[in-house]
Amino acid sequence: MATVPEDVYFATIPELNARLKAKEFSAEDLARTFSERLQRLGPRYNALALSLHQEALRAAKEVDKDLKRERYRGPLQGIPYGVKDLLAFAGQPTTWGAAPYAAQVFQKNATVIEKLSATGAVLTGKLSMVELAGGGGYRFASASLTGPGLNPWDRTRWSGGSSSGSAAAVAAGLVPFAIGSETSGSIVTPASYCGVTALRPSYGLVSRQGAMALSWTLDKLGPFARSAEDCGLILQAIAGKDSGDPGSAGKSFYYTPQYSRPVKELKIAYAPVDFIEAAEPGVRAAFAEAMGVLKSLGAQLTEAKLPDFPYGAVLSTILSGEMGSIFEPLIASGKVDQLADKPQIAGLKASLELPAKDYLKAMRIRRLIQGEVSKLFAEYDVLLAPGRANIATKVDQRIDQAPPGMPAPPSNPGFRGIIQMGNLAGLPALVLPCGLAENMPVAIQLVGLPFSENMLLAIGREFQGKTDWHKRRPPV
Amino acid sequence: MKLTRRQLAASLAVAAAPAPANAQNEDLDAAARDRLKNNANALNAVNLPMAVEPAVVFRA
Repeated sequence: MATVPEDVYFATIPELNARLKAKEFSAEDLARTFSERLQRLGPRYNALALSLHQEALRAAKEVDKDLKRERYRGPLQGIPYGVKDLLAFAGQPTTWGAAPYAAQVFQKNATVIEKLSATGAVLTGKLSMVELAGGGGYRFASASLTGPGLNPWDRTRWSGGSSSGSAAAVAAGLVPFAIGSETSGSIVTPASYCGVTALRPSYGLVSRQGAMALSWTLDKLGPFARSAEDCGLILQAIAGKDSGDPGSAGKSFYYTPQYSRPVKELKIAYAPVDFIEAAEPGVRAAFAEAMGVLKSLGAQLTEAKLPDFPYGAVLSTILSGEMGSIFEPLIASGKVDQLADKPQIAGLKASLELPAKDYLKAMRIRRLIQGEVSKLFAEYDVLLAPGRANIATKVDQRIDQAPPGMPAPPSNPGFRGIIQMGNLAGLPALVLPCGLAENMPVAIQLVGLPFSENMLLAIGREFQGKTDWHKRRPPV
Repeated sequence: MKLTRRQLAASLAVAAAPAPANAQNEDLDAAARDRLKNNANALNAVNLPMAVEPAVVFRA
């Protein structure tokens, strides 16, 4: 058994894959190294829901057989990874982060896991999450079967949610990449808080088959990784048509940033207020520097406004309607009371009282939103906003309240509703770490039209070619 | 930052501290219902032409 050097922990997918092919170490040794690190350090951040150590070693041995025969399957071959514990892995518990489902076992893998297995990627563990992905409206970071997600940069701070473990595990070098999900912010928020590159794909690009449904028309699965390049490689593996997902867009994705228009030809819309008056004072310098980098790449940054809609109310109504239907058995049985977060329990119960007319009204307004978003992208190529306007909050901070030191919301809303708007319109978003404030990560997000992931990733690759924020590591 | 076990336990205890039971449950249930109503009020303020259909796509 070869000793695997510690510099693998923060290596990119191409770097690891090259070293495997060069036989610097075996896939089994690499899987063992990462799996043991995940087992040892995952609990430090409440990031680990379930170790799949033995399964990982078995899978890695098969990868080694292929590598020995030079049967190469692509850049993810032999790369260890983790998945948010809302993805089914056959024969092992899939808890959805929630006490009522702690013993739940599925007999079939989620499509995303099947696809990654076909590439030779090695699953080492299930990663923690906010219970039921937080759809009922949770108030505290402790809304999870595994306790509050702790930020690897500062364990008195939250890792963000609901993909808490996915972000923390990548940030701390416990897995080279992870799969998380987003309904309304659950990829963008933890990626921003933990300083990890992440991608929320277009709705329907990645199959939801085998993933817990929180909201059929809003849920997306996406990667957390070391770089935009890594996100592109992962998306290529997990995207594609799946008849098992009624929302599948039926499209594949091929990572080809070289065919995207260069950044200097792109019109990037943003709202200055988001990066100054609306942002925590400590993060403003990082945002200013990020804008400077984008300008130095030749980006045409143009001030713009989002279409005026009550995005929060629309999303919340749709989420309540769909979530209520999905979890009606849980609520009716009374098992909903076993959840950790009382506001979440109340939100789930109330969702059964949502009138159908309100759900339909929200879905009609959603059509208006989609139309206005299309018009916005007729003028601009990309929307730029903070990933979050503040550093990761303290673990005991109420999530539904602004943290101390946060400025009062300015009268100019800027792009305040961009996360909800993006999810309602099925838009992809790329999160890019762009600095540190109080030694905590700060990130921007780039949002594009559906299926514009290559453009976003190309911008991300150029941005990360000029900065090294995505390479900074927490004190693990 | 270097965190002592005592500091970590203290911050976790605050997050895990259970809320007082019944009175808060009533408040939370009412608050959840109020949120639905507030959302509905916000939706009602949107100019929604009769011809606009829901954003759903059905195909065999």
